[in-house]
Amino acid sequence: MSHTLSLCRFELEAALRGRTAPIFAAGFGLASVAVALVGLSAGGVLAVQGFARTSVSLLELVVWVVPILALISGAVAGADCHELEFTASLPVRRPAIVFSRWIASTLTLGAALLLGLGAAGMVIGLLAGSADGWRYLRLIGVALLVLAASLALGLWIGVAVRSRLKAVGIAVAVWFVLVIGVDLAAIGALSVLPPGKASVWLSVLLMASPVDAARALGLSLFHADVVAGPTGAALRAVLGQAGAWALTAALLGWTVVPLTLAGRRFSRSDL
Amino acid sequence: MIRLEQLQKSYGGRPALEPFSLEVAAGEVVALVGPNGAGKSTTLRSLAGVVRPSGGRAFIAGHDVVTDGVAARNQVGYLSQRLGVPANTVLRDLAELVARVRGVAPAGALQALTGAGLGDRPGSTVGELSGGQRQRLMIALATLGPVTALLLDEPSISLDAEGSDEVRQAIGEAKRRGTAVLFASHQLHDVALLADRIVVMVQGRMVAQGTLAQLAQAAGVACDAAPPEPPIDRIYRILVSRGRDSAPGTLTLLREDAA
Repeated sequence: MSHTLSLCRFELEAALRGRTAPIFAAGFGLASVAVALVGLSAGGVLAVQGFARTSVSLLELVVWVVPILALISGAVAGADCHELEFTASLPVRRPAIVFSRWIASTLTLGAALLLGLGAAGMVIGLLAGSADGWRYLRLIGVALLVLAASLALGLWIGVAVRSRLKAVGIAVAVWFVLVIGVDLAAIGALSVLPPGKASVWLSVLLMASPVDAARALGLSLFHADVVAGPTGAALRAVLGQAGAWALTAALLGWTVVPLTLAGRRFSRSDL
Repeated sequence: MIRLEQLQKSYGGRPALEPFSLEVAAGEVVALVGPNGAGKSTTLRSLAGVVRPSGGRAFIAGHDVVTDGVAARNQVGYLSQRLGVPANTVLRDLAELVARVRGVAPAGALQALTGAGLGDRPGSTVGELSGGQRQRLMIALATLGPVTALLLDEPSISLDAEGSDEVRQAIGEAKRRGTAVLFASHQLHDVALLADRIVVMVQGRMVAQGTLAQLAQAAGVACDAAPPEPPIDRIYRILVSRGRDSAPGTLTLLREDAA
């Protein structure tokens, strides 16, 4: 265990020196502030949306942008594991190498996300008041969950594929499937299945994609299912009160399972 | 200390190492020599846990490198031909990691850097070092901590004369400490100087094994002079050529045969 902590510290120090985290933080900060700004009001004055509306608007940004960035980061980190011949010859377990990379990426990108969204939150708080700030905190929680899951999925892809370029290509393809493919399947299910059965299949589909699970979780937590997409629309009716817990569990599952598979795969790999 | 029992390795069905047995005792230095593709690196990488053997077993200080890999690697210092860490790794971080996982006090990390001539550059990255500096660093890290087996893949590569001398000293010191050293090298004069025993490999097979004098005798080469004068280049060429022509399983000389 202490060796795993040592590895995590080593990977974290390396990740903190990288350029990904500051870019991620700055990008999210700017995007969040931009989303918080409404168009010109009737009086021609730029106004800032409150936390309630900003959270719902930012949710879409989070579920589209965080997964692609995390999938690509994870895929590169996973493919690079195969270059770590020296680290692998140390008295550490191979899954610990994968885990330490995941935790370092999650912590640095998570911190960047907190900085970015936090900066925007401060602007919103100062200019529009702190009402409904809890929604914004929940948004950050959802963003961290989908970040962790997407990084784990990306790592698994990278470890399995080995080549950086291929891994990034597959990560992008997976992102398309997760953000669009599953929604298309949901639309198909809604149109084909009778209402009773469609609800069950929609529940399954919500769990079948970490992106949709995050979107549905966000909407559920904000009580904002009015703005839901094809899958999210049925959320309230389908999942009920336990929905948020089920979706959180699904997102944790989307983190633990790929991470475990990546560790196992890497243990069997020749470097 | 290091024991291989019919160790073998294939990549995608292509044998890289045919069943191979060898023992290296504590304080013994054994060199693996042979042309490229002979299986020298594969042998070392299998022992270091970097690749998984396809068959047979290997032990470091009694620990199976596959089933008890962490305990086995706890006893091993390994120098790879590849860099093996990201180029943007900071020297201090790397040395501290090795020190921590090997149970060495943090001061030992700085000592290792100083020993590699990099004590004044702990904040530099591995990518900023020259080939020779990297090699010195990785050798210093391989020998950091209580390792009982040292696996070195081309330790003198990209080193100048002074660096090669330092490698020879490091191997000599390891031997005096009772460390079992198995190294692969194309630097035949280093092999002649350092190795207690030499293993000649060709196309994944061990074709000869013995002391330099024994190999010279097997190759039919007169070997009267003391090292470094013995004509190891000539002995090597004869044994490799003979090994290429021999049927699998044929061994020119075993240490036991010559005893």
